[in-house]
Amino acid sequence: MAPARSVYQRDTNRAEKSRAVRKTGDRSVSADVLVQQLINGITLGGLYALIALGYTLVYGIMLMINFAHSEMFMSGGYVGLFVLKALTNESLVGVGTVAFFKGSSIGLIILFAMVFLSAAIVVGLLGVVIERFAYRPLRHAPRLAPLISAIGVSIFLQNAVLLWVDSKALPFPSVMPVVTVIDAGGVTVNSLQILILVTTLLLLAVLDTFVSKTRIGKAMRATSQDREAAGLMGIDINQVIALAFFIGPALGGIAGVFHGMYYGSVKFDMGFLPGIKSFTAAVIGGIGNLRGAMLGGFVLGILESLAAGFLSAGYKDVVAFAILILVLIFRPGGLLGESVVEKV
Amino acid sequence: MTSKRKRFVALVAATAALALVVTGCASKTETGGTDGGATEATVVKIGIGAPLTQGAVALGKGMERGANLAISQANEDPAVVDLGIKFESVSGDDQGDPKTGVTVANQFASDSKLVGVMGHLNSGVSIPASKVYNQNSIVMVSPASTNPALTQQGLDNVFRVCTIDSVQGPSAADSAFKDLGFTSAFVVDDSTPYGTGLADEFAKQFEADGGKMLGREKTGDKDSDFNALVTKIKSLSPAVVYYGGIYNSGALLSKQLSDAGVTAPLMGGDGMYDGEYVKLAGDAAAEGDFCTSIGYPIDQLPKGADFKAAFEAAYPGDAIAAYDAYSFDATNVIIDAVKKVAADLGADKVTSPEGKTAIIAAVAATNMDGVSGAVAFDANGDTTNKVITLYTVKAGAWTAYVK
Repeated sequence: MAPARSVYQRDTNRAEKSRAVRKTGDRSVSADVLVQQLINGITLGGLYALIALGYTLVYGIMLMINFAHSEMFMSGGYVGLFVLKALTNESLVGVGTVAFFKGSSIGLIILFAMVFLSAAIVVGLLGVVIERFAYRPLRHAPRLAPLISAIGVSIFLQNAVLLWVDSKALPFPSVMPVVTVIDAGGVTVNSLQILILVTTLLLLAVLDTFVSKTRIGKAMRATSQDREAAGLMGIDINQVIALAFFIGPALGGIAGVFHGMYYGSVKFDMGFLPGIKSFTAAVIGGIGNLRGAMLGGFVLGILESLAAGFLSAGYKDVVAFAILILVLIFRPGGLLGESVVEKV
Repeated sequence: MTSKRKRFVALVAATAALALVVTGCASKTETGGTDGGATEATVVKIGIGAPLTQGAVALGKGMERGANLAISQANEDPAVVDLGIKFESVSGDDQGDPKTGVTVANQFASDSKLVGVMGHLNSGVSIPASKVYNQNSIVMVSPASTNPALTQQGLDNVFRVCTIDSVQGPSAADSAFKDLGFTSAFVVDDSTPYGTGLADEFAKQFEADGGKMLGREKTGDKDSDFNALVTKIKSLSPAVVYYGGIYNSGALLSKQLSDAGVTAPLMGGDGMYDGEYVKLAGDAAAEGDFCTSIGYPIDQLPKGADFKAAFEAAYPGDAIAAYDAYSFDATNVIIDAVKKVAADLGADKVTSPEGKTAIIAAVAATNMDGVSGAVAFDANGDTTNKVITLYTVKAGAWTAYVK
């Protein structure tokens, strides 16, 4: 953890000094800031990418935008928080267990593996249930119907958490120590930022291999190309769709836990902004394309950070959506999008 | 197939309708003392407009607590019983959102027995809502909206018992520059009327005092990622970061500043003065942060101990938030005016148009000894009690700053 900031520790000398440095060596300082902003952007982009994968996976198979996905992300944050609280509650799991979890690095790894796994599984199952009851009955309805249903689910989930859990933001306990891994010339990278990046890349690699190499992946691709033909070839469509609705929300759930850990709190409406941004990222990258969602997430995260850092914090959303419009004008299929097949 | 689909559409529609009811409308909880009198007492309603499910909920719930305490005390007052009045409260959840605030205001206005509103919290909500109350001759006493524009609209029914940002902002700047010795500042706001107004006033006075402004940035009141901004702030090394906004986002900013290794404390206004701020930012990040809030700390007020005792009896286990006492006072301002009008015109006239106009006049003439100090209003409807206290986070709690 960073040291507590307090008046008594205030070091005005340092501030004066660094300002003097700024005057003499402006270029080197701004290079540091640039690198730091890129790191901020990559971390934020990793979160966007994780969520965007869920949008793009579901779209690829169902050709529908799952607007309830932002609430999968939010639910992940809450499930992660509750599991973490339960596993570090001494009266629930015993003093020894808590000491083991908190005391050793192996314990911490096991603890957080359990937190992430349970968030992924619970939210994944939630996704499957939602698909079964809110989308499957509308599978042959006009395309607008499941979209509206998705918005309904989103509002329902938000309000369910609001009423049954809490309307206030809940602090996310900082059980995992966040250590500064790199600290070079004003640029700092902490362990959590690295964890987010590594997890995101790892999950994409696994998902990409899964979809392109395995039999079930092949079934998913076939369903994505032509649902009815795939069904005629003996593929269980319902299973494939349910799987997509498990994996997508599970990834969103993991992103929710990261969001809680990174920003230190969860709130019932926390999904809204990241949800919209990640959807934008998925569209920028080419919706339906897994690598595109990843690329879109990072592009958006980095551009947002640069805009906030070098223009003004107020402009970051303007930049994010201006990029979306530009991409839609010049590459309607997205950066990595396939040429759009007429399916509407 | 079709019947199945129809059934599903109906289910979706029902879900959507349910969701609308939950999000869009004011939740009504009515409280009041038991009706002990033999004769039927005239019911007089007071609206409580506050964010109860979204926005600064910790502060909004406090407003509801303070107002309900004042109302239940009034109903036990023999003088009120003798006048043949019984007060009831109606809570309207404005969600800290201007549009929802206007909906709540219209609901209040459609209730003919409602004569006054204690609210709202956010200036951005209070300003549009005040126009609705003005059209319906309902008196509005805000315990918490500090943007100067609220009382400068020329509306005769709008009052507040809290000091305004043009007092709070400069006071914070003076404290920062003169008392705390911060020579440079980076100022951020949350783009709401409250946050922007406060940050502007701070910046103006800080520069006038001779402080150096290193930057001025705007963020959103629902933002959670401030890392890009934090990096910018870090590169400028200000002595203090001033944030005009509410504790939700302020706490996240403080945490991210601390995580990035910025040692300058975060300073804010009354919107940050809540225990939730420390909880969300984490003890380590919040320690040493500053905020100003209106009035004296509760335990330094002559009536503070009485209020604390009554509060603890009514709400065991709850902590007093920033506006509990102000809401108690604001509600009592309305109650006193109603009592006066009931004595002059008769209890049955209180809820008539004539009575409502008389209540507005009676509130304007308020001269009350409240929990927050002497309560009286100037020509605009602003309180004449302009005290600001500086707080700092010490050992995980906001405590009045002692030099």
